[in-house]
Amino acid sequence: MQYKSQAVAKLYFIAAIGLFVGQILFGVILGLQYVIGDFLFPEIPFNVARMVHTNLLIVWLLFGFMGAAYYLVPEEAERELVSPGLAVLMFWVFLIAGALTILGYLLVPYSGLAQMTGNDLLPTMGREFLEQPTITKIGIVVVALAFLYNIGMTILSGRKTVVNLVLLIGLVGLAVFFLFSFYNPDNLVKDKYYWWWVVHLWVEGVWELILGSILAFVLIKTTGVDREVIEKWLYVIIAMTLITGIIGTGHHYYWIGTPDYWQWWGSVFSAMEPIPFFMMTVFAFNMVNRRRRNHPNKAAVLWALGTAVMAFLGAGVWGFLHTLAPVNYYTHGTQITAAHGHMAFYGAYVMIVLTMISYAMPMLRGRKAASSNRSQVLEMWSFWLMTVSMVFITLFLTGAGILQTYLQRYSDTPLPFMVVQEKIELFYWMREVAGVVFLIGLLVYIASFFVGTKEPEVVLEQTDA
Amino acid sequence: MSDKLVAAQVRHYPPGDLAVWILIMAELLVFALFFAAYGFTRMGHVALFNQYQATLDRTAAVANTLALITASYFVVRAVAAIREGNSRHSARWLWAGVGMGVLFLFIKGGEYAEHLSHGINLSTNTFYMFYLSLTFFHFMHVIVGVIVLVILAVKVGQGRYSAAEHADVESGASYWHMVDLVWLILFPLVYVMH
Amino acid sequence: MDSQTRAWLRPCTWTWLVMVCLTLVTWLLGVSGAQGLWVALLVLGFALLKGQLVGDWFMGLHGVSGFWRWVVSLWLLLVGSLVSIAFVISSGVLN
Repeated sequence: MQYKSQAVAKLYFIAAIGLFVGQILFGVILGLQYVIGDFLFPEIPFNVARMVHTNLLIVWLLFGFMGAAYYLVPEEAERELVSPGLAVLMFWVFLIAGALTILGYLLVPYSGLAQMTGNDLLPTMGREFLEQPTITKIGIVVVALAFLYNIGMTILSGRKTVVNLVLLIGLVGLAVFFLFSFYNPDNLVKDKYYWWWVVHLWVEGVWELILGSILAFVLIKTTGVDREVIEKWLYVIIAMTLITGIIGTGHHYYWIGTPDYWQWWGSVFSAMEPIPFFMMTVFAFNMVNRRRRNHPNKAAVLWALGTAVMAFLGAGVWGFLHTLAPVNYYTHGTQITAAHGHMAFYGAYVMIVLTMISYAMPMLRGRKAASSNRSQVLEMWSFWLMTVSMVFITLFLTGAGILQTYLQRYSDTPLPFMVVQEKIELFYWMREVAGVVFLIGLLVYIASFFVGTKEPEVVLEQTDA
Repeated sequence: MSDKLVAAQVRHYPPGDLAVWILIMAELLVFALFFAAYGFTRMGHVALFNQYQATLDRTAAVANTLALITASYFVVRAVAAIREGNSRHSARWLWAGVGMGVLFLFIKGGEYAEHLSHGINLSTNTFYMFYLSLTFFHFMHVIVGVIVLVILAVKVGQGRYSAAEHADVESGASYWHMVDLVWLILFPLVYVMH
Repeated sequence: MDSQTRAWLRPCTWTWLVMVCLTLVTWLLGVSGAQGLWVALLVLGFALLKGQLVGDWFMGLHGVSGFWRWVVSLWLLLVGSLVSIAFVISSGVLN
């Protein structure tokens, strides 16, 4: 760790991992509710569990991104953060607001929560992923502004690198598009139309810039390949991301009352969205193959390569599966979507945050470059446990989705929704088993921080390659 | 000198930066998809496509084709000049290319204004949807290409490149040729073939 | 301008001239009201030829070996085949 203020990242990373555990616990509860509908009812109904599962994901990823930014930006800008104190203060504000919101979901009926928080004054609640009370949303904006001020001023007054600038564009975009969560028109078509500006333009737009820059940073650090080479790739990848991703929003506009041409625009552009992810895979492997040294933090390199592969599979391939309008006509909102959502979020965003944590945590905990061998071995075990179980979750949900699409929508004698749900029960059970394995993987991951802490770190091997 | 010539003839990579060529390939793929979509959608609406294709301004399109071809040629001359280290000539050719690109934007803009004044938009019918989408997507590429050429022209004019070091110029030129290449197919497909 | 550059430019100048001619012929075919599948395919053929010239000489792929030598040709082949298939089928000559 070259700059003292980078240390604030540690808080963010710890909170991220903590919330990650919460997310997965609720995921496992939710998975069980698919087959045992009244499990934990009425304490935790399905809709609440789902809300907690998705909201926790978003919040912990935001913690992860912020932590990554606080670690990466000073090092790239070659100066301390403008205000480490502000970063710590905002951490607590965000954590407490997040915790209160989740407790609100769990303890108060949702309509009551809406009343308590004065949703009538500026109604923004009740929409998928944007369920947060309006005051929480305002809190998020305040935290985001303070964060952007801190990061932005550091970047602008320090060394300007492509990695930093791309990250900044991504983070500014993240904040700007979140503002559409305050726009809640009565017209249902318009409501959905702009809702996607938050949801889609986040995960298939600006978040990809954040992903790209973090990946580039870790690759620069671990491979020793020339910055210029990596920056050039980053440019091309983000150009392609923006070309395909922005107009690709159209793949959400097929059946919601928007003009017909979106079926073409959405299909063609979103069909190209796998390209930047594919480039990212080629890029990551290329850089690692051209490495000028072997970095002692093998786990971080594994996470980085894993991100590139899984993001391509989850976001790219599984997205492509149902992105074309004629296909989506049948698959819209089935378990195919759930399959894609799981692997895309894990492969792209969970894994990039874990990559950054894996790279930065040893330094944040006072080591020179890497953890001990024992700790790394355990971390790599957790990598495989989580990644492989996620592949299985995705495959089972895909199986469920294909069967569901056929029985409910495609066959000559379509069956009602609940009848179909019973017929695909077996897939849900298998998904639940895979989910439990994922939870075990996550526990192993956490354990990896606590083993071998007294042992010496892995030393850099010198190579001529 | 002859060594250099031989070396130039067995290159394994196209002129300019490889990253730009990957971008070019991706862009070409997007356009290929759009062209195929046009062709196959037309199969179900041949009469409609033929009827509305006849309303387009072919003369403007031909003028635009000539503008782009010529712009590309000027850019080739600019690359040739910088390969000899002649920044002054290179910049002049690049500005000429910019002029042709702007001419294209001007003519195409006139066509769009004409359509707008007739109340034509993406929802008018399937033919116009494709015509407007395809040409406008290409239009935006011309804008990007012109911006790239302007930046290069300024930098070349400042003498920032030499006979030995001008990969940026070659990259920009390759991108511009791609924009030209796409139009070469777009023009007959949308304006002429029926 | 040295002789090497001259030799390098010459095919490019020819390319430009040929493309201008092909464009004008395409235009004439358009305004002459010539109809039918064969006219359409001829026009497409001109376009593909022009594309090949741009790839070979303007983009300089003529002097490259390996995959990149053929990247534009492959694209033209792909676009050309898809568009011709669509036009041949829709013309009804297969029935």
